Amino acid sequence: MSRIPLVPEITEPLPSIRESEGLLAWVASIDHKQIGIMYLIATLFFFLVGGIEALLMRIQLVRPENDFISPEVFNQLFTMHGTTMIFFVVMPFLIGIGVYLVPLMIGARDMAFPRLNALSYWLFVLGGLLLYFSFFTQSGAPDVGWFAYTPLSEKPFTLNKGPTYWVLGLLATGIGSVASGLNNIVTIITLRTPGLTMRRLPLFVWMILVTSFLLIFVMPIITSAFAMLLLDRLLGATFFMPATGGSAILYQHFFWGFGHPEVYILILPAFGIISEVIPVFSRKPIYGYEFVAGSTVAIGLLSLGVWAHHMFAVGLGNVFNAFFAIASMLIAIPTGIKVLNWTATMWGGKIHFATPMLFAVTFLIEFVVGGLSGVAIASPPIDWQATDTYFIVAHFHYTLFGGSLFAIFAGVYYWFPKMSGRMPSERLGKWHFWLTVIGFNLTFLVQHLLGLMGMPRRVYTYHDLPYWGDMNLISTVGSLILGLSVIVFVWNIIASLRSGIPAGNNPWNAWTLEWATTSPPPVHNFDLVPPVHGRRPLWDLAHPDMPDK
Amino acid sequence: MDKLGGVFNASSPEMEAMVDLTLFIIIVAVAILGIITIAITYILIRYRRRSADTAEPRQDFGSTKVEIVWTVIPALIVGVFFFSTIKTMYAVNPPFGDREPDLVIIGHQWWWELFYPKSGVRTANEVHIPIGKKLLVRLNSVDVIHDFWVPELGPKIDLVPGHTNHIWLSASKPGVYLGACAEFCGVQHANMRIRVIAETQEDFDKWQEEHRKIPPTPTTGEAALGAKLFQEKACTNCHLTGVGPDLTHLSSRQTLAAGALENTPSNLVKWLKNPEKYKPSSYMPNMKLTDVEVNAIVAYLEALK
Amino acid sequence: MNKNKMLVSFFIVSESIFFLMLILAYVNFHRSVTEGPTAANSLNPIKTGVFSLFLLASSLTIWFAGISLKKKNHKMLCTWLLLTILLGVTFLFGQGLEWVGLIKQNITISRNVFGTTFFTLTGFHGFHVTVGLIMLLILLGLALAGDFKGPESDAVESVSIYWHFVDGVWIVVFSVIYLWAFL
Repeated sequence: MSRIPLVPEITEPLPSIRESEGLLAWVASIDHKQIGIMYLIATLFFFLVGGIEALLMRIQLVRPENDFISPEVFNQLFTMHGTTMIFFVVMPFLIGIGVYLVPLMIGARDMAFPRLNALSYWLFVLGGLLLYFSFFTQSGAPDVGWFAYTPLSEKPFTLNKGPTYWVLGLLATGIGSVASGLNNIVTIITLRTPGLTMRRLPLFVWMILVTSFLLIFVMPIITSAFAMLLLDRLLGATFFMPATGGSAILYQHFFWGFGHPEVYILILPAFGIISEVIPVFSRKPIYGYEFVAGSTVAIGLLSLGVWAHHMFAVGLGNVFNAFFAIASMLIAIPTGIKVLNWTATMWGGKIHFATPMLFAVTFLIEFVVGGLSGVAIASPPIDWQATDTYFIVAHFHYTLFGGSLFAIFAGVYYWFPKMSGRMPSERLGKWHFWLTVIGFNLTFLVQHLLGLMGMPRRVYTYHDLPYWGDMNLISTVGSLILGLSVIVFVWNIIASLRSGIPAGNNPWNAWTLEWATTSPPPVHNFDLVPPVHGRRPLWDLAHPDMPDK
Repeated sequence: MDKLGGVFNASSPEMEAMVDLTLFIIIVAVAILGIITIAITYILIRYRRRSADTAEPRQDFGSTKVEIVWTVIPALIVGVFFFSTIKTMYAVNPPFGDREPDLVIIGHQWWWELFYPKSGVRTANEVHIPIGKKLLVRLNSVDVIHDFWVPELGPKIDLVPGHTNHIWLSASKPGVYLGACAEFCGVQHANMRIRVIAETQEDFDKWQEEHRKIPPTPTTGEAALGAKLFQEKACTNCHLTGVGPDLTHLSSRQTLAAGALENTPSNLVKWLKNPEKYKPSSYMPNMKLTDVEVNAIVAYLEALK
Repeated sequence: MNKNKMLVSFFIVSESIFFLMLILAYVNFHRSVTEGPTAANSLNPIKTGVFSLFLLASSLTIWFAGISLKKKNHKMLCTWLLLTILLGVTFLFGQGLEWVGLIKQNITISRNVFGTTFFTLTGFHGFHVTVGLIMLLILLGLALAGDFKGPESDAVESVSIYWHFVDGVWIVVFSVIYLWAFL
């Protein structure tokens, strides 16, 4: 079988990583793989911090009228937990793993703009530092919730500097994300190896492409809202101050105009991971490739028109609510198509239950729980009960944890051999998996009930009403098991990095181009890129007798 | 079940309609979840890899016919959901025309100002309503966004500064219905509770009649000293101006500090001595009162019926 | 399409949405200002209109700069770039006059929603003009140092795309703020 060399040559000098030593080699690197790994390390750090914040909250809520932490600290904790997990864990993880994988999957040598790539990363780090620096100011971290509704987040009501650091931190990472989005789009459009048409693009790359378009469309919405909030706070502008002619509701339109597409930014690349893992471990191609890719585009477009389902309780009228209800419910259709295609991919396969597949399969069920509760609360009369209660907390943890994070774990175990050259431990991986599944469902399943029984979210204490204490206790026990699972996860990573079995180029017998090079790949990625005649170039190489159509 | 509260104890026609819809959608959703879970479990068992078997399975790329089927079926389900949603939405939230509100609720950090425009009654934190009547409530806020939510009686609705909202409120049987602020509104969001006391029309009229009258200022004993201190210690700066809750009929209320404490004389003493302990960072200052002063003020407030 | 120009094109898509939000905020509050300064009672459409012509003209001059580049006319390229910069600076000077005039009447960003939305919208536009001018200065410096012999240059063409965008945004901003108030 003939191999053709990598064609889209990058004319700029190669990344400088190997030239400098030590710390500078990391700081000065513009190699997409090294930047990708730096993203993953930084997000792991923020994941641990955000997890500790969550555990502290769960300990406070373990029994009614608890006084483990003060209301001020509790409010800082849930603000920082939400902000951290969304903007400094899930989002940069998915961007980071995209940065690592996209050039490899399309047979390119690096991103289209390696320096811009490094800038995105360092802006994300700067944002994280700005956000967490607020803990060292006199009044502590921001305490206005992750959506920082005005006018609560305005000067007269929040005099401390928390929200200012919060805005500055998110502005920095936000600008970095736009740069990542732009970089991905140009990379995917211009640097694909010959033969790799858009219809043959790995689904992970498709999802990154749609996500990147969402990034460049919606990040500027929140950037402008944050600029306005900052001007309000620092220069006395009155955008969102009703007392001086501004509008509290305008901020909500801007925030959710960004905020809802943002949740698809958090889930679409996760869908991409699932779309890679399930076929490989079922030994079958993805079922209905065009429909999986097409439904992603549909979700991306629909997501731009559903923001006000976060605002059903604002009182904007029945007609307004009805429009956003139907738009939101429609998203269930393309999402359902995806779940059914993943399920059909496994039908008739030979399913291998390695750790990545365990997480991917469980993702399907956990995500469906979150998706179905999502359809329910897209209905305004149900949302009028559920919104701002623990039902919502349960719902978005089923999509963000049961969805995005389960997919992230699947992705970490799947690509760990490629990135490190060593296999992760299956034994520890299974411990991690079972602890995560048990801990996660214990923590969040009962929260649906708590919400329906009337427990609002974001309360640092609650009265001893029938069963409230018991259910919160169950939830807290679950969260401690989750904490344990994270320790096992970190232990697995460290142990496997030191003494994992050497992986070889393609330990899972997978079919996309990143598995055609060494593990870890050389700085220039490929000596030779295999020819691409279909969606699974390595399948075609291994089965010349029955290549894909 | 009614011990569970919330959707498990629907107590108004609005809430009953909402619960019917919730049950319908949740049952369908759980059925879908069950089907998918069973299907996945079956596939995982049936198609698991047997260790001896290394041959690749048949490669199957999909079928447009199947895709159309599983696009159309969810679309139909969504259509049904949407139809029942619209029906319930207009049943729960019909237009109110130019009707004047029966009750005005104004959100404050962290308590509720209540005003009955038709009778002129002013109170705080505890809403009295007659059963079997649909009241039109107007809601507003003086500071940040709050949210009025009494789960068993129906929808929640935001209190937005600069934006007036209306909601229908009713209860079909007498009782005390617990609620809370549902939109995060600052440090003491958790202790911004509200309760609705639904009673027969007779009891409600009686309550309203009592609350219309301003109780006479005590002229003798400890309570008289308390009345004097209430003026001198600047309590009136907030509690007579709407900055803090109106205390005119405080002793007839069930709770203190928007539900933070049960309303008993001993709790009132504790609260006056150290509000920071029971509702940290609330705007009620510690006035550094002596025991004598505290007891006098409590005696005065207890005399206000 | 060349990757640099593609990057700039997608970037201005993103930037357009940013400005769209600022414009929406201005429009949202336009009718709610009932007292104090408004666009109609405190702005000078004629003066700003004249200064706007300078910015519009600078779009032409940078277009000519591109033509000179294609024709490998290095001297004219430098001249057109310089002219573009001068026109841009003149526009900014006009914006400065408008701002100083308003601030002298105590019309500031914190005065009312008109002040808030007006200064934010024109301020962010002015910021973008300034960034454009810095990039043009760098181009001019490189050109004088002997760069950009033509017939193609991603740098010149990318900055040109950006500059046209800044100009286009101003046409919308001017229409929304000035024409809407006075026509």
